Amino acid sequence: MPVKKRKLPDAGDHEHRCKLSSLSRPHIRPVKPVGAVRSFSGKRCLTWFHEYAGPGTVVGPEAMAKFCEDVGVEPENVLMLVLAWHLEAANMGFFTRDEWLRGMTVLQCDCTERLQSKLDYLRSELNDAAAFKNIYRYAFDFSRDKNQRVLDMDTAKSMLDLLLGRTWPLFPVFHRFLESKYKGLNKDQWYNVLEFSRTINPDLSNYDEDGAWPVLLDEFVEWRKSCSAS
Amino acid sequence: MGLPPLNRNKGISFYTNCMTNCAGFHYFGPRLFRKKLKCRINKHCCSLFATDRPKLAENYTEDTWLKLRDAVGAIQNSTSIKYNLEELYQAVENLCSYKVSPTLYKQLRQVCEDHVQAQIHQFREYPFFCTQHCQEKSLDNLSFLKRMNRCWQDHCRQTIMIRSIFLFLDRTYVLQNSLLPSIWDTGLELFRTHIVSDSAVQKRTVEGILEQIELERNGETVDRSLLRSLLGMLSDLQVYKDSFEERFLTETNRLYAAEGQRLMQERDVPEYLHHVSRRLEEENDRIVSYLDQSTQKPLISCVEKQLLGEHMTAILQKGLSTLLDENRVTELALLYQLFSKVKGGLPTLLQFWRDYIKSFGGEIVCTPEKDKDMVQELLDFKDKMDNVAQTCFARNESFINAMKEAFETFINKRPNKPAELIAKYVDSKLRAGNKEATEEELERILDKIMIIFRFIHGKDVFEAFYKKDLAKRLLVGKSASVDAEKSMLSKLKHECGAAFTSKLEGMFKDMELSKDIMIQFKQYMQNQSEPSNIELTVNILTMGYWPSYTPMEVHLPPEMVKLQEVFKLFYLGKHSGRKLQWQPTLGHAVLKAEFKEGKKELQVSLFQTLVLLMFNEGEEFSMEEIRTATGIEEGELRRTLQSLACGKARVLNKNPRGKDVEDGDRFNFNNDFKHKLFRIKINQIQMKETVEEQVSTTERVFQDRQYQIDAAVVRIMKMRKTLSHNLLVSELYNQLKFPVKPGDLKKRIESLIDRDYMERDKETPNQYHYVA
Repeated sequence: MPVKKRKLPDAGDHEHRCKLSSLSRPHIRPVKPVGAVRSFSGKRCLTWFHEYAGPGTVVGPEAMAKFCEDVGVEPENVLMLVLAWHLEAANMGFFTRDEWLRGMTVLQCDCTERLQSKLDYLRSELNDAAAFKNIYRYAFDFSRDKNQRVLDMDTAKSMLDLLLGRTWPLFPVFHRFLESKYKGLNKDQWYNVLEFSRTINPDLSNYDEDGAWPVLLDEFVEWRKSCSAS
Repeated sequence: MGLPPLNRNKGISFYTNCMTNCAGFHYFGPRLFRKKLKCRINKHCCSLFATDRPKLAENYTEDTWLKLRDAVGAIQNSTSIKYNLEELYQAVENLCSYKVSPTLYKQLRQVCEDHVQAQIHQFREYPFFCTQHCQEKSLDNLSFLKRMNRCWQDHCRQTIMIRSIFLFLDRTYVLQNSLLPSIWDTGLELFRTHIVSDSAVQKRTVEGILEQIELERNGETVDRSLLRSLLGMLSDLQVYKDSFEERFLTETNRLYAAEGQRLMQERDVPEYLHHVSRRLEEENDRIVSYLDQSTQKPLISCVEKQLLGEHMTAILQKGLSTLLDENRVTELALLYQLFSKVKGGLPTLLQFWRDYIKSFGGEIVCTPEKDKDMVQELLDFKDKMDNVAQTCFARNESFINAMKEAFETFINKRPNKPAELIAKYVDSKLRAGNKEATEEELERILDKIMIIFRFIHGKDVFEAFYKKDLAKRLLVGKSASVDAEKSMLSKLKHECGAAFTSKLEGMFKDMELSKDIMIQFKQYMQNQSEPSNIELTVNILTMGYWPSYTPMEVHLPPEMVKLQEVFKLFYLGKHSGRKLQWQPTLGHAVLKAEFKEGKKELQVSLFQTLVLLMFNEGEEFSMEEIRTATGIEEGELRRTLQSLACGKARVLNKNPRGKDVEDGDRFNFNNDFKHKLFRIKINQIQMKETVEEQVSTTERVFQDRQYQIDAAVVRIMKMRKTLSHNLLVSELYNQLKFPVKPGDLKKRIESLIDRDYMERDKETPNQYHYVA
């Protein structure tokens, strides 16, 4: 995929990337247009990791915020989710060293600029049905509290908003429905919501109650039908 | 005879003459004839007959004809004939032998025709008064008919007489010429042509007849022989079908159509049915009496159609429920009989029968206020319907099957409750103190119960309640007869299979074994150093056979605890691997009490015992104190105290007085207690079922069903590895023995997915995989 040239302000100072001025002082590096072809360097990648992780092995939520700022993407942006997916990050808000290294290697990114150039690619993956499905499914375990089997309702709602908010016409209705009795969604229900959004018409005309849909969705359809009837 | 062959025509007539004469009619001039015969035989010549004939007198023919004509005239006018009948007969014969037959025939016909033609006038002249009063008009019509009948009778009689005179002609000339009608037929033809075919006359005749029939149908008496004769006339004249029958059937149709409509409004169904039956009888009688047999089929089917066929649904809608409610077997049998004659009658009746059962039965089952009587009402209802099917519906297979179908439908309209109530009903019959039924009666009742039980879909609910009640009966010693219990058990086994009853049988076995153990224990106790002054009886219940009881810890007095320990030691000595758990809720005891009036023995539950024993240590206690001391759970304690202080036998006094046990109440020993019996049972509360018990039993059944569903799903998935949702559901319906909704199945499937017993296919969400 062609790398788009990104222009950032103040491209004056050029520091050799191999030399780190300070481990504990990450700051925005001025971007230099990638003219020369330089291959991916694991060492650089790790160095980059430690800019945020410090001496530790995990990029935590605060460092994550800085990282997002540096990359130029809001933490709540869906692109971060895609990135996390590539990294196979286990927990929302954290990247471990291994995750970072493995994932960034796959992406062939060892610095912010390179990552920035990959953002369009990441965005395009959201439009690919198969990739999106995997991202969506991944989102469940990613955002879940690991002590629970079930994704709590608030998190579920925001994740759904993030993923389906703009593409699924029934999402606002479903959002309202979820405010009723359910305390959370389990994995099976989570997976099926995507299927539902993809296969069922907005007027619910092709929904089969006797099919294999989870009872939650049966109840949603029933609720919706009774709402529109009254 | 050895006669030579003669000219055909003459020969035959010659031959026939001989034959005729030999046969009979000897009184018509035999002598003359024989003489002639002798001559002819002697001659042996073909043309003998032709040539040797004596010449007739010239005017012989003419004169003879005049004589004959006179005679005919006399017959026709009913005057006396001048001539000798023999003579006349001979005259005819003579004329015939001289080839005058054709002329004679023609002339005779003419005379007859003239006469018949003349008859019409009497009918044409008959007054037609359209504006006349009905009664007079019908009288007029009646006399018209009578006149017609007389005319006909006369005609017939006359024709016969004429024929007997002209018999020779009839038997020779006429017979030879197949195209010529015989004298009798000629008579008929003439009468038909000149009288009956006259449209006005025919119309009036037919109308007259129809009017008479209508009068008779309205209940009046009419002259049946007149009608028979006239209709016979129409038959003989072969105009019956065209002139009469069609109109008759139309009239009948109209009459009964109107009658059907009217009476359906005016009469109630039983009356109507009787009326219809009567009408059919009447019409059949009419056929026998004066209508032609050929009319029977169309007539009866017309009546049936108009009175029954058109009103089938209305009759059933209006009256069937009442007939069945009031058990009116005669009318029901009549109904069945009548409906079986009409096309589509029985199927319609069947449908209404089925619907009635479903609705009546549905009401019995689905009225919670009447739950107490549900089972008895069901039994009575089944008996009643059986009786109807047998006595009224001739044991028709399809009716019996429809009844079974209907029963199965309505009984399952309300899930679970009928099964529970049937279990309770059986319990009430098997309990001691049920003195109503003898052994045979009880057997019969149980058999009838089984028939109803067969219809129920969720039999596991029955088992749960039956087991619970059986346990109580066995443990509190309330079973009326072991034989009856065993009989019921074998009926259940027969109906539902051994798996259903294995636990129940286990319960009985436990009781037997416990008896044996107690014998051994008694011996063991005798060998003990410290005899106890408490007599202990223990029943060992195998967990799993018996209903589950919530374990409760209560504070038993030390003597009891010691005894329990002794027993435990004894028992575990025999069965080392087992664990014993005491169930205080099921225990009962006999207490010796001393009141002012004297000593009494009280049969009480263990809880009641614990409470009462407290009053050996103190005068008065509050409820709180009792609770702390005994450790009995609050709800149970309230019930216990209520049974001791607020029931029929008040061995305790409650302060303040009242029916219910409240928090601050205080209790003391009722020294003034009186009772006519020495041994008093106060432990009935153990037998009663609380609302909580009932709810918890039902809950347990549902819980159990969930386990069964789970087990079935896992079993199926393990075998098939991969299965679509629909196939899984249909397989489950095959395997599960209780009714279940698709939504419930889905919930269990989801639960199993959540617990990683199975998973959905990644691409096809309605397919499942087994997770090993």
